[in-house]
Amino acid sequence: MLKRTLFLMAALLVTTLSFGQISVQDELGTLELDSVPERVVALEFSFVDALANLDIAPIGVADDGDKTRVIEQIRARIGDEWVSLGSRSQPSLEVIASLNPDLIIADRERHEAIYEDLKRIAPTLILKSRGETYEDNLKAVVKVAAAFDRADEMEKKVAEHGAKMDQFAAQIDSDASVMFAVSSARGVTMHTPKAYAGGVVNRLGLRSPVPEETEDAYVRTTIERLVKVNPDYFLVGEYGDETVIDTFKENSLWNVMNAVKNDRYVETDPRLWSLNRGMIAAEIMAEEIIALLEE
Amino acid sequence: MFSQSLRQSNKSIYIGLIFLALWMFFAVWHVSAGAVAIPWREVLSNVVGYSDEHEFIIMGYRLPRMLIASLVGASLALSGLLVQGVIRNPLASPDVLGVTAGASLAVVFVNAMLPDIAVVWFPVIALIGGGISTVLLLSIAKPVLHHPAALALIGIALAAVMSAGIDYFLISRPMEINLSLIWMTGSVWGRNWSHLPILLSFFAVLLPCAIWLAYRLDLLSLGDQTAHGIGVDVQRLRIVTLLVAISLACVAVSVCGNIGFIGLIAPHAARFLFGNRHIALIPLAMLIGAVLLLSADLFARILMPPIELPAGILTALIGAPYFIFLLSRYKHW
Repeated sequence: MLKRTLFLMAALLVTTLSFGQISVQDELGTLELDSVPERVVALEFSFVDALANLDIAPIGVADDGDKTRVIEQIRARIGDEWVSLGSRSQPSLEVIASLNPDLIIADRERHEAIYEDLKRIAPTLILKSRGETYEDNLKAVVKVAAAFDRADEMEKKVAEHGAKMDQFAAQIDSDASVMFAVSSARGVTMHTPKAYAGGVVNRLGLRSPVPEETEDAYVRTTIERLVKVNPDYFLVGEYGDETVIDTFKENSLWNVMNAVKNDRYVETDPRLWSLNRGMIAAEIMAEEIIALLEE
Repeated sequence: MFSQSLRQSNKSIYIGLIFLALWMFFAVWHVSAGAVAIPWREVLSNVVGYSDEHEFIIMGYRLPRMLIASLVGASLALSGLLVQGVIRNPLASPDVLGVTAGASLAVVFVNAMLPDIAVVWFPVIALIGGGISTVLLLSIAKPVLHHPAALALIGIALAAVMSAGIDYFLISRPMEINLSLIWMTGSVWGRNWSHLPILLSFFAVLLPCAIWLAYRLDLLSLGDQTAHGIGVDVQRLRIVTLLVAISLACVAVSVCGNIGFIGLIAPHAARFLFGNRHIALIPLAMLIGAVLLLSADLFARILMPPIELPAGILTALIGAPYFIFLLSRYKHW
């Protein structure tokens, strides 16, 4: 009897090992994989950062048709041999299907509408990306790693990243307020602590000039409001050559801002500060902030 | 007289066949072209079920999109034809009646209040929003229904108020309503077989209604008084026609979002080619609408692969110059 029970248990163990070895709880369900995926497709930049941390090169990326939208440091690590899948908001399902992926990593917000179609193509891991906070991202990267059965390894990397950020924070001895904003032809948008860049600033122990109680991650601003917010350090990432921030500069209020008076208005790379959310990007952002504060 | 009308109907059949051939041409092109090049032999063997190598791309992606683009284009065109039949004004189209704006506002509002809402609910919310704006429009416009221009003006005013509401959410909650924004640009991207039943079931009910209305609208085109004299209940005819037209526009908007100009141009073009007999105009306008959206979606997919453009932008691009051309030559009212 005992022998039989043992045998049954062993058999059960074997079956659980061979079927659905990998199982990850994502935003909309559970991803089940029989084996570690090899042909991966990423539909947002934050997933590319996560994959680069694992030294996995995706075969397809929704990169808005422009590979250079992925920052150099990440491309140096995983190359840029991927196939472009079109825009992140409307990736081409045809191209995804033609690549025969065995894992698709999609963004809950942008790609929920096509979740069922994606699942028809390949097992799909759907996670938070657009509008995620710094903390959300650290949770999502572990889930990405879990799909490759490497969650433990990623948790270690997240801990190492945390230690690194602590070190960066220790180097900073300042109570200056730092704010990042994106400027496009449509307007200037401040990134609050709820946004990824704002989260990194907070993580380094720096203040955001936008009051804590703001619920929103991204706040569209006028020049008047900007003067009221009055950050000590003002970083702006521009999408395009002529953007709304240029019209702000012509306004006489522009020179009233502390950051402008003290020459602490900096134009920076929106790809790094807004598009490529992830640990690799966060550490480069931290280095940039420290270099800026030491000037 | 008799031979002339015979000639007329012969001509109608020819034009109809030409547009049917045009639709088939675009339908075949739509299914066989895309970001991924698949030889036509393989496309064919996939369609007939002989091979399933590109099963998803052909059967799960291009084919349902082709059908949805055609059906949505046809329903927008039919809606526009009916609206123009009632509001006898060349500028009349479903967009003028505030339905599109009402549906969009409902989606944006719900999306702003419940940011986590699943996209599958958008069509339902859009239908409800379109319905509410219809009730609003008809209740405000009831006293002036005999004045088509007044009805159109009320519709434009309503649409303006609702667009203001949409703009408010755009500015105050840009992040939350991102999903509904993409939906609003009007696109056939991401639509699949699951959207067909709602389209088909609306068609099954509304198309017979439109055919039933066709002769009565012909009488209405003689003028309100003449129509009344022959025994048409003008007021009731207007309301029923508007309801059918608005329902068609609602279901189209609910599936594909805002796709402009088709409801305006397709019926114009049909009248331009066919004259004013609604029973003949219905199939032709629907075919032209189907061709317009189908070709717009085709070019949206193949112009800059793998980037997908929203078809709504392309219909405006094709539509606006064509509309100006039509207006400059128009003499059929």
